[in-house]
Amino acid sequence: MTGASFLQVQGASRHFGGLRAVDAVSFDVAPGEIVSIIGPNGAGKTTLFNLLTGQLPPSSGKILFRGQDIGPLRPNERARLGFGRTFQISQTLTSLSVLENGMVGAFLHHRSLPAAAARAAEALELVGLAKRAGHRAGDLTLGERRRLEVARALAMEPQIVLLDEVMAGLNQTEVQDIIEMVHTLNAGGVAFLVIEHNLKVVRAFSRRVIVMNRGKLLREGSAEDVLSDPEVIEAYVGKRRA
Amino acid sequence: MSNREQRLAWRKTGGVKTLRHELPVTFGALAALGALVAAMSGDSFTLNILASTFLFAGLATAWNVIGGLGGQFSLGHSVFFAIGAFTVSNLYLGLQVSPWLALLPAALLSAVLGVLISWPVFRLRGPFFAIATMAMTEVLLSLSLYFDRFTGGSRGVSIPFRAGLQNMIFRDRLSYALLMLGFLAVCLVVMAAVTRSRLGYSLQAVRDNEDAAAAAGIDVLRTKLAGMAISAALTGMGGVLYIMYVRVADPPTLFSLFDIGVKMALIALIGGIGTIYGPMLGALLIIPLESWLRAELGGSIPGANLIVLGFILMLTALFLRRGIVGGLKRLWSRPGAAKGAGR
Amino acid sequence: MAEFLNIVAIGLLLGGIYSLVSVGLNLIFGVIRIVNFAQGEFVMLGMYGAFAAQVAMGMDPYIAPVVVAPALFALGCVVYWILLRPLQGEPMMQVFATFGLLMVLENVVLALTRGVSLSVNSAAAQISMSLGPVQMPLARILVLVAATVVAGALGWWLRVTLPGKAIRAVAQDRKAARLMGINVERMYMVSFGVGAALAGLAGCLLAPLYSMSPQIGMNFIMPAFAVVVLGGLGSVAGAYVGGFIVGLTEALAGFYLDPALKHAVLFLVFIAVLIIRPAGLFGVAGAEEVGLREQS
Repeated sequence: MTGASFLQVQGASRHFGGLRAVDAVSFDVAPGEIVSIIGPNGAGKTTLFNLLTGQLPPSSGKILFRGQDIGPLRPNERARLGFGRTFQISQTLTSLSVLENGMVGAFLHHRSLPAAAARAAEALELVGLAKRAGHRAGDLTLGERRRLEVARALAMEPQIVLLDEVMAGLNQTEVQDIIEMVHTLNAGGVAFLVIEHNLKVVRAFSRRVIVMNRGKLLREGSAEDVLSDPEVIEAYVGKRRA
Repeated sequence: MSNREQRLAWRKTGGVKTLRHELPVTFGALAALGALVAAMSGDSFTLNILASTFLFAGLATAWNVIGGLGGQFSLGHSVFFAIGAFTVSNLYLGLQVSPWLALLPAALLSAVLGVLISWPVFRLRGPFFAIATMAMTEVLLSLSLYFDRFTGGSRGVSIPFRAGLQNMIFRDRLSYALLMLGFLAVCLVVMAAVTRSRLGYSLQAVRDNEDAAAAAGIDVLRTKLAGMAISAALTGMGGVLYIMYVRVADPPTLFSLFDIGVKMALIALIGGIGTIYGPMLGALLIIPLESWLRAELGGSIPGANLIVLGFILMLTALFLRRGIVGGLKRLWSRPGAAKGAGR
Repeated sequence: MAEFLNIVAIGLLLGGIYSLVSVGLNLIFGVIRIVNFAQGEFVMLGMYGAFAAQVAMGMDPYIAPVVVAPALFALGCVVYWILLRPLQGEPMMQVFATFGLLMVLENVVLALTRGVSLSVNSAAAQISMSLGPVQMPLARILVLVAATVVAGALGWWLRVTLPGKAIRAVAQDRKAARLMGINVERMYMVSFGVGAALAGLAGCLLAPLYSMSPQIGMNFIMPAFAVVVLGGLGSVAGAYVGGFIVGLTEALAGFYLDPALKHAVLFLVFIAVLIIRPAGLFGVAGAEEVGLREQS
């Protein structure tokens, strides 16, 4: 696979007591690829994200980025390597302005205030929040907060962005905006790893889909194949209705 | 994106205040206070109050670097205050080093100690951090009473009156008021510089959300330690000036939880946590009010000033969480924006 | 050997005092996730309450809780409703608010008593008992017994009775408890009131042991924080056991090291535990963080 030298997850596991939240998961991501991760609630998707960005240390297994084992690195060190992320429950910096939220990301590569502000303004433009730059992030709507988190990640000029259910609670137009934005950025070479429940979005996003269930990687393949697999439909749809 | 487009995007944001934009405001505020001192230059009672107002304004500003910007509510800053005071008393009395020169080692020692004791304690969040800093005060107070060679034990230290600029001891109150104004100036400029810098934004990001800050590439622990070092260094300098001003102090006074540690935090809260000028405004309100209360009621009702302060503290926590500065800002802005301002 | 036994006895009796003082603090923290800096002042009010009961009604301090504990329960409810209910999800503002309350209570008592130190007397306070080589004042033994009874009774009440179960439900998951039809706000108010009443009870029983001053609350709150952190945040058993750990540490360090260093040693241990195992010996790991996050 071409992604061998970009992001490689090799048998990553995370246990909480007896619970195997992530159980020996392996997959690769190629540079500039968009990969979606789907699976029922509690499948371990967010835990997997936390392992990738360093919020949680893995119980066992390896995570390689450009051939380097990043397992021991803390979140901020991984950010420096090029990891950007959003959180499932949005984590905006509520007392700062929208622009300043972007600046906090932009400071990763820009020391001076004006440079960081310019970079942040660009990122806000991309997610359509430029008009709200002066508002307090705490005053934003849910949809705007999610976009702001994306903007903060983009301002870091990342090589791979992890989006954790970034569409949840957004309306149709907002969803469409984000899909377009992801495609624009992806055309510029940024890879995406996306946790998503909305299968329409998954289809629009990615050529490749990973299905997780009970901490394990259930299926991996093209969107067409995976989404028509009866086992996947049962695990996914069956569990979701339950 | 082209240069022109970048500039366009940049203009749409309304710009960000840099230190160069901030300093004129800072010096304007200091000039106003200087004018106040000049106007009162004949009145040594008022000058005394101004001197301690400026001292506490500076201390609260120093606390604000880590407490306000960084959101680490230390109640143990009296430790650094005392370290500064004992550094100068030992250097000046023992080695005849001028207190002016002692400012530097006092600041350094406080910063180093700040980093060393905060390193483990910064793993704690919120009230637990506050409790640990309180416990730290107890530990260092009892150690300082035990190692009385450096601190004079329970008798404390006293510095003989030898007036002279090089000794930082003056006959007139005007010099002390100006000295403390100078301290406030240093603290304000440092606070302004930190606020308008990457470190300032990192501290605020850490305060708002540690996970998000780390995900954005901020080294959370290092950011907190940097903020604590700066805050402790300034507080240590305040301790130097304090002991040269009062010339007699014992460990319980210098390590006092209420009169130093909590008071610094309280003044910053009332003025406006995390703002550059809030702590200064808080001190301008609280210190004169307190000395007035003590003069008016202290004789007839012991502790009346602290009752009033306690009520102010509770009311501020309930109704004015962003302090005087936050309240003023809310009045300024549209009523619609006021909803979120309380948070 | 006799010397060592005496030190241990002193430590255990001191531990009884700390346990009794800490149980209420830990109940409040465990349920409402509020760190009440004014808890020591509730104890102080309990002591002055015992004094007032003796002066006004000639009541023995060991009977005074009958009136003092309900009075502090009422005070606790009022304080919760007015001061702390609006501050949910604002841990730092809670620190400031309870600190403000501490200053007000302490100095109101100072203003009322004009700083004259007071004491109560009880027939029981004169008696001393000996067990082999160990001498123990009855008043301190009574505190130890009371701490044991209170910890046991509170644990039973929380485990068995309906209001106790409701309080535990609220402590575990306030959203779910709300959905189950439990009036969460009222449970919080009751918990805070019970915490204050326990402090009042402690104050009455401690009144014969100390000469009272308005600042005495501060002497209790710092060890109580140490107890709660050592024993386990929110755990009744933890507060009980933690009290003895703190009492013994203080007594042993005071005797074998230097009395001047006993606080330094105690708080170094305290800070070490806070850092190594922030949830305490009996607490649930992560409780200190969960406690802060769940408030919203």
